[in-house]
Amino acid sequence: MKDIHINRICCTLICIAVVCLSWCGSASAAEGAVSLKLAHTTLRITTFYNGTTLKASGIVSADADVLLHVIGVKKDVPLKVKGKVAGLLWMNKTDVELENTPTVYMIYTPEKVGNDLLLSQLDMDYNAMVKDVALLGIGYKALVGDIKITPESADKKFVFGEYVKLMEKSGVYGVYNGTVNYGPIRDGQKSFMVTLIIPPKMNAGTYLVEAIAVRDGAAIAHADKKLTIELSGLPRLIASLSYKHSLLFGIMAVAIAVAAGLLIGVLFKGGGEAH
Amino acid sequence: MFHLYLPIAGNSVNIFLILGLGGFVGLLSGIFGVGGGFLMTPLLMMFGIPPTVAAASDSNQIVGASTSGTVAHMRLGNVDIPMGVILLIGGVAGGTVGVQVIKLLKAMGNADFLIAITYVIMLGGVGGYMFWESLQGMRHDNGMPIEKKKSRPVVEGRKSFIQRLPFQYRFEKSGCEISMLLPLAFGILVGVLAAIMGVGGGFIMVPVMVYLLRMPMHVVVGTSLFQILFTCVNVTIMQAWSNHTVDFVLAVLLLLGSTIGAQAGTAVSKRLNADQLKIMLASLVLLVCVKMMAGLLMTPSIMVSLKGGH
Repeated sequence: MKDIHINRICCTLICIAVVCLSWCGSASAAEGAVSLKLAHTTLRITTFYNGTTLKASGIVSADADVLLHVIGVKKDVPLKVKGKVAGLLWMNKTDVELENTPTVYMIYTPEKVGNDLLLSQLDMDYNAMVKDVALLGIGYKALVGDIKITPESADKKFVFGEYVKLMEKSGVYGVYNGTVNYGPIRDGQKSFMVTLIIPPKMNAGTYLVEAIAVRDGAAIAHADKKLTIELSGLPRLIASLSYKHSLLFGIMAVAIAVAAGLLIGVLFKGGGEAH
Repeated sequence: MFHLYLPIAGNSVNIFLILGLGGFVGLLSGIFGVGGGFLMTPLLMMFGIPPTVAAASDSNQIVGASTSGTVAHMRLGNVDIPMGVILLIGGVAGGTVGVQVIKLLKAMGNADFLIAITYVIMLGGVGGYMFWESLQGMRHDNGMPIEKKKSRPVVEGRKSFIQRLPFQYRFEKSGCEISMLLPLAFGILVGVLAAIMGVGGGFIMVPVMVYLLRMPMHVVVGTSLFQILFTCVNVTIMQAWSNHTVDFVLAVLLLLGSTIGAQAGTAVSKRLNADQLKIMLASLVLLVCVKMMAGLLMTPSIMVSLKGGH
């Protein structure tokens, strides 16, 4: 009789635990949990590599939107700011350094901003919003807040703005509006899919791809995956020789250049007489 | 498709674009005896190659192009080896001094400005003088009177001073007997300028040999290529060893284009007389000068640049 009583208590406790867990789970989904999956987590740079694209997908709550951003390692970036010399000639004039600046920074935003979620806290138009979602802690405006400039007297916003232009030109910084596409809503959730652009200047290294679920202008959940880009084949061999056997590499480069020059000379023998 | 990844430059390039660039610069190398560094490095930078990698890899390709050109000119008897060796010794010594000058200027914080101004003044001065004198020569060949020859008495006066210098040597191929100190001094001067400007120095060396050493144009071209070959061998090894900036794949691509271009250039130069050669080189030098001047005067679209190299 006593055993039956203990069993009943145990069953009741287990049931309560299961109910609690399932309640927590549904609460989490309701708050906009997001999942992220990359088609590949490692990309290889081979001989004929010219950048690539990468599919990223996942699930997000139906009442939330999702933004993706790709971030490279943060480094100190020494720059030259141009200025006029003698009031006439434009030159690289002043040395500045942007500290703690990501080498790669890309943002992907949804095709339509559902329920104006992102706009709710920002009184600005859509284009301004995607460049300027500082309240979410992402975007150039948020980024500039994390960066320090040396010397401190330099105009940080201006220098960073020009640096962004330079990086956007090489493809490693960018804001890609309307690139996140949603699937149909099922069970209070929707799928999303985006094609990430991997430019050739995105060098070998590890990058963070992050999906951020957003509701009412606030980030409510996020998921991330690491993306590794590595050299492979001939590029890997050359990079290895250049850095690990640099003197040998230099002599080899000269020897091959001389050999190629001589070979061409032999091939063209008799082609050139006195002039 | 048709792209190659450059692991040192950290970017990919179109194979045919780089082959074309190499071919174009190789053609100039074969015709004029200049390495083409003053032209190739800015062109590579325009196509997304970092400045330091562009300059170092360009040196590597010049080794191939000038080997091909030197061999072709040696076969034609156009290389004055003793003259080339003395200029080379001077060039290496001057280059070493020039590197120290650059360090000093950088410490003073105005290296970039002085480098650009040196470029414009040298290119404008050399190009303008060559252009003017070639025009005079061509007008003379056409039977038109030359307006003035005021420089002659100065040259005659200088000759007597030059003849008094020690270490007189008969440079057979160049057809002149001068003191070895003279090409050595010019070699040092060109070496200093080449180091400051970050180029092989062919476009300075050629006018020096033509106008100051009074060497025949075709011997100038062969001897200049000979001197450039060894200068660039030194630069390539040093850059690869200490800076890791030689991109082998880029250099090989440039080589393929430039070595063929150099041979074609040597063949083209057979069909041109000395004044035509000079006026074409002068036009090219002036064109680069005008482009650089425009770059200094026009407001840049982006007001910052990544720091690295000069």
